[in-house]
Amino acid sequence: MSALPLAFLSPWMLAALLALPALWLLLRIVPPRPRRVDFPPLRLLLDVTARRETPVRTPWWLLLLRLALAALIILALARPIWNPAEAASGQSGPLLVIIDNGWASAPDWAARAAAAEAAIATAGDAGRPVALVGTAEPPRELTLTTAGEATERLRVLAPEPFTPDRTPLLGPIRKLLSANPATEAVWISDGLAGGEARAFAEGLDAALGGRLQMRLDDTRSARALAAAENTPAALTVKALRAEAAGPEPFRVRASDLRGRPLAEAEGAFAIGARDASATFDLPIELRNDVARLEIVAARSAGAVQLLDQRSKRRAVGLVTGATADVAQPLLSPTYYVSRALKPFADVREASGQGASQAVERFVSEKLPVIILADVGALTREAHAALAGWLRNGGVLIRFAGPRLAGAPDDELSPVRLRQGGRVLGGALAWETPQPLASFSPNGPFAPLVAPSDVTVSRQVLAEPDAELPGRVWATLGDGTPLVTGARQDKGLSVLFHVTSDTRWSNLPLSGAFVDMLRRIVDLAGSSPAALAPDAASAASSARRPALPPTRTLDGYGAFRSPPATARPAPAEGRPAATPDNPPGFYGPIDAGVAINTLPADAALQRLDLAGLRMSVAQIATEEPMPIAPWLLTLAAIAAIVDSLVVFLLGGGAALLGRRPRAAALLLAAAGLALFAGPGALRAEPAGRTPIDDRFALEATLSTRLAYVTTGDSEVDRVSKAGLEGLTQTLGQRTALEPGAPMAVDPAKDELSFFPLLYWPVVDGAPAPSPEALARIDAYMKQGGTILFDTRDALTSGPGMQNETLKRLLGGLDVPALEKAPPDHVLTKAFYLLEDFPGRYAGSPLWVEALPPVDEGEERPARAGDGVSPILITGADFAGAWAIGANGEPLLPTSTDERQREMAYRVGVNIVMYTLTGNYKADQVHVPALLERLGQ
Amino acid sequence: MAVRAELVDSSAVRIVSRHEEAALDLAGSLPRLLVAARRASATVVHGLHGRRRAGVGENFWQFRRFSAGDAPGRIDWRRSARDEHLYVREQEWEAAHTVWIWIDRSRSMAFRSSLAPVPKIERAVVLGLALADLLVRGGERVGLLGLSRPTASRLATERLAQALAYAPDDGGHLPPATAPIARLAEAVVIGDLLAPEEEIEAAVAGLAGRGGRGHLVMIADPAEETFPFWGRTEFIDPDGGLRLVAGRAEEWRAGYEERLARHRAAVAGIARRHGWSFIIHRTDRPATEALLGLHAQLGEAER
Repeated sequence: MSALPLAFLSPWMLAALLALPALWLLLRIVPPRPRRVDFPPLRLLLDVTARRETPVRTPWWLLLLRLALAALIILALARPIWNPAEAASGQSGPLLVIIDNGWASAPDWAARAAAAEAAIATAGDAGRPVALVGTAEPPRELTLTTAGEATERLRVLAPEPFTPDRTPLLGPIRKLLSANPATEAVWISDGLAGGEARAFAEGLDAALGGRLQMRLDDTRSARALAAAENTPAALTVKALRAEAAGPEPFRVRASDLRGRPLAEAEGAFAIGARDASATFDLPIELRNDVARLEIVAARSAGAVQLLDQRSKRRAVGLVTGATADVAQPLLSPTYYVSRALKPFADVREASGQGASQAVERFVSEKLPVIILADVGALTREAHAALAGWLRNGGVLIRFAGPRLAGAPDDELSPVRLRQGGRVLGGALAWETPQPLASFSPNGPFAPLVAPSDVTVSRQVLAEPDAELPGRVWATLGDGTPLVTGARQDKGLSVLFHVTSDTRWSNLPLSGAFVDMLRRIVDLAGSSPAALAPDAASAASSARRPALPPTRTLDGYGAFRSPPATARPAPAEGRPAATPDNPPGFYGPIDAGVAINTLPADAALQRLDLAGLRMSVAQIATEEPMPIAPWLLTLAAIAAIVDSLVVFLLGGGAALLGRRPRAAALLLAAAGLALFAGPGALRAEPAGRTPIDDRFALEATLSTRLAYVTTGDSEVDRVSKAGLEGLTQTLGQRTALEPGAPMAVDPAKDELSFFPLLYWPVVDGAPAPSPEALARIDAYMKQGGTILFDTRDALTSGPGMQNETLKRLLGGLDVPALEKAPPDHVLTKAFYLLEDFPGRYAGSPLWVEALPPVDEGEERPARAGDGVSPILITGADFAGAWAIGANGEPLLPTSTDERQREMAYRVGVNIVMYTLTGNYKADQVHVPALLERLGQ
Repeated sequence: MAVRAELVDSSAVRIVSRHEEAALDLAGSLPRLLVAARRASATVVHGLHGRRRAGVGENFWQFRRFSAGDAPGRIDWRRSARDEHLYVREQEWEAAHTVWIWIDRSRSMAFRSSLAPVPKIERAVVLGLALADLLVRGGERVGLLGLSRPTASRLATERLAQALAYAPDDGGHLPPATAPIARLAEAVVIGDLLAPEEEIEAAVAGLAGRGGRGHLVMIADPAEETFPFWGRTEFIDPDGGLRLVAGRAEEWRAGYEERLARHRAAVAGIARRHGWSFIIHRTDRPATEALLGLHAQLGEAER
């Protein structure tokens, strides 16, 4: 083997290189083809005798080029390979390939597998039998197989998500060695000390000595996460690495159960540090959703931390004795409690159940905290369940209330209560309402500052006894307890001596209430057992059923359905994953446990190789690479160059040079086309259709009414005639002299020029296109008013039942509507009106609902802040307004001509309303303003 | 950059109106002054000019008294009726030169190298037609040797161009061996004059047999003069189909140039012996140059 990592698959082809000198001679002799030239004075030339007629030879550099070309092709045919697979070491004994396939091998598993495959293939080429074993496999008998079978086995192997225990492998290996003493071994190791690596290495060393080659990765890619902790302040996690190397930043991503990324946190290993921490400073709600932390792009089960319910917020059961009044939530006894708990706890309310059933249900659900808000008496079963739950570590929070005050003592309160409550500041009471004075330094509220604004007007009182002072957590100004709490066996019972609503005190309204509840809930574990981590619970947990695996991780840290080998995990989980319990979630998805690859106190360490005889090599990552394609490419390039040279030597330059300007122009044009082409193409459709200038000028040079064309020519004609009539009336009676009305199509025309759009609704009209809807919506939002006229007052009943109108308005953001009230400014805008008749009388005019009337305010006219963007009528205004060419009415009204006059007045009022807005509503204040000015 | 040298396609060298126009442009560009000067100096002999004496002519010269020996038929009775003498009407003697032009139309004249803007044939035709126009304007009679009769018409250029255009390709490199031109006529032979010296000698001697004067105009492509070839080159004779492969063309240059100089010296010697003039014109030079030189030669010869 030469020093170069180069080999030929068909070395006999190299013999063709011997033909190169012959080619050289041949090329030298054959001259290039002569140029042909017409030459009239040839006769003269014939008389000339050249002194020296030496044939032109191929230039030496062209010769060299052609020889190189030929040599390249010959070399390419010899199929050279860079980095050929290592040749056999000359041994003939079996080869044992040990490959670490724990989580630490996952990031560069492909390279490891390739190294193993290369070793197997080399052995196979030499005809050596091969045994392959992965250290994370369950121990088994090692058998020698052919290289092909070993390769197949290797393909099946995948990194496992736990730290392999290697020592059990020593037995089968020794057995194999005793049967085949000449065995060589390759150990493709993850280089970590975990999993008894040192003992395994020593055992192998003793058995094999120098015949063991260890392959290590130098990428040191194994990174791990451990000890994720949901502290009150933030979610922290520890990142680990094996090498105390230089600084290295990393990112940790948090995602929820469904795999949605929630946040990413940056962290960095300090110089020489083997662990670092990353902190997620997230709101508690988000933090509680975090189910999985992983180092971004680490691709290893070790770099994933799974979080289960134990690191999540507590569930709190809320039971009230009062009948739930949904209609008035502010009066519900649980409203303030649940609002106060929501930020940090999962509140479950008893809905539609009696208090006793709810208590029993919550106890059976093993909630860590149960709140009884003014629950007096429970059934015996519920009481027993609750008492048992409390003894077992539950946290019970009670709020006083009339029911509790009247109930007999039930042993569930921390103190004995006196029957009946105490009223402070009432009509018949001596005392004034008492403020919250202080928090007991012994209680959990000690760090809190007593708020000064909390007053208590009623409370229940504790029977004073010897235990009372130790149980008081908060006291009132007169020394009576406000909050008492006591341990009850393993549990905790807390009593607020006031109600959970604001009837007895304003405590539930204060910020201190939230803090107090939070401190109490923080006292609770995730489950009753967590409160009592003593020996008794160990025994009880053994009785609890094991949790079946739900979702587990594979070696790369991705979720998968649990493999067949995964067994149910104990209910309290495991500190670290085992082959039987791969990392993942066990049990129900919202109440299960999570098992992680590494224990919380894990640390990664390099395997210490000191004093071992084995040889150590890198995992080869360079793959054999055939060079032939490159050589062929080079040969092709040389051939092209040769063609160019021949072309130029043969006078091609003259051909090119004859029209240099044309060629340059052509090149420039091609370049221009290349660059300008796409731009020019892009520029084409970029132009937006501008507003038709003529239309815009016409619409804006004078104020105009406009109507929407419906496509029904008769309706459009009436609309036009009606608006003409209204325009004429406006000009006669008001200061407004509008221009002739215009027809608009909301799909095409700009609407913003018109203060009022008259839109007759034709039955069966199609809904406007989305673009038209967008225009209409923008028009209405920006102050325009559309007057929809369904023209069906005779046929339709009260209310808006026109299907076509519903379809038209379906895509619009229509405000709440009401029938124009008698005091609406529409009735006062110009004429004083009582109703809004058109051709038909009796149809209401629907407008945007006005804000409700303030009590006690007497206003003759009301208006909102703006003009109603939409008016709906069924009275067929245009029909009443419509006039012919000579000013004669076109259509009869439903009653008499007086109605037509009123219709005109309605039209005038509507136009004035759209133009002046709530101006008239303000005018009615003039007397009051004058009066205020002292006039 | 290699010089390209080739024969222009025969259709491209057809004599068409563009040659005529080019010739007229060329002739028109000659300063009028030159023509006037020449006329002033050569008014005695040149052109269709009155010889200031009675003779054969068309214009009235004088009336003279009838003298004995005059043919009675020559008496101008109208004049004689005005007095008592008899008068004879005498015309002014007029005589015009005849200039015969011959243009080489052989295949080799279609040669054009990349150094020259036009093929040789084009330059030759333009030169010949321009000369004809000049001469006709000067009152001389111009004819194409062997193709058309001499004419003094103002449309001579057009006629000559037509005659050239429809003339059969005789393939000759030299004027046909027709009868010698008249003593006072002149011949202008325009061509590449690459034929062997003996043939040129014979042709010139034939034309000048009766003492007629003449002018040889050798049209040469610059490539024919400078021999800008190198490398392996195959030379092809357009007329004879002869071929010569030069292994290294640049080695031939010196010999060729020397041979060409000898050839030209020989042609010049032939011209000198017969009292003819000899002009060499390269196609990369402006045509005016040749026309001026030719004109000067004509004028000088006539003096």
